[in-house]
Amino acid sequence: MKTRIKELRARYDLTQEDLARKVGVRRETILFIEKGKYNPSLKLAYDIAKALNATIEELFIFDEG
Amino acid sequence: MKDKLGISVGIGITALAIVTILFYIMNAGNLELNEILPLLIVLILIVSTIYILWDRIKNIKKGLPAQDERLKITNYKACYYGFIASIWSAVGAPLISGIFFDYELSGHHVTAAVVLFGGITFMISYIYLAWKGY
Repeated sequence: MKTRIKELRARYDLTQEDLARKVGVRRETILFIEKGKYNPSLKLAYDIAKALNATIEELFIFDEG
Repeated sequence: MKDKLGISVGIGITALAIVTILFYIMNAGNLELNEILPLLIVLILIVSTIYILWDRIKNIKKGLPAQDERLKITNYKACYYGFIASIWSAVGAPLISGIFFDYELSGHHVTAAVVLFGGITFMISYIYLAWKGY
């Protein structure tokens, strides 16, 4: 699964730590989600999308292959 | 509040473990190899615990949670690996001791092996998974 979190973070000038604080997780969790090494829960995905003014579909790109 | 309480309890238990180890070392006299090895494992467990506590305190100071959903999953996985290691060490420790050292382990040695191997597997898995990301 690919994500556009880094791109949207840059748009709002947010660091990983800022976003982590907004959604109530550790900075490493945001890092691993961006790297595709951790699949967040639906709630966390929703919270991140909300914090970045986007929808879950815009943030996460599912590779069906 | 819950995080701070957990960290305070963790610091207390770690401090007690360190004091116990120090008392043991001071009163043990000359330590033999079979006494040094479990002591090393306990020291590794203490150092790992200090690292985990430091990591949590660092996050709390930054206004971030000490533990989140990813670390909870990491915790469950590490518990699972520790449990498997405990079971296999209960079977493996007497076998290895008998085959390689021709020495029959007593019940309390096997219990110690189960606790120590389970603990060390938990710590190694937890730190590795927390660093690696899954």
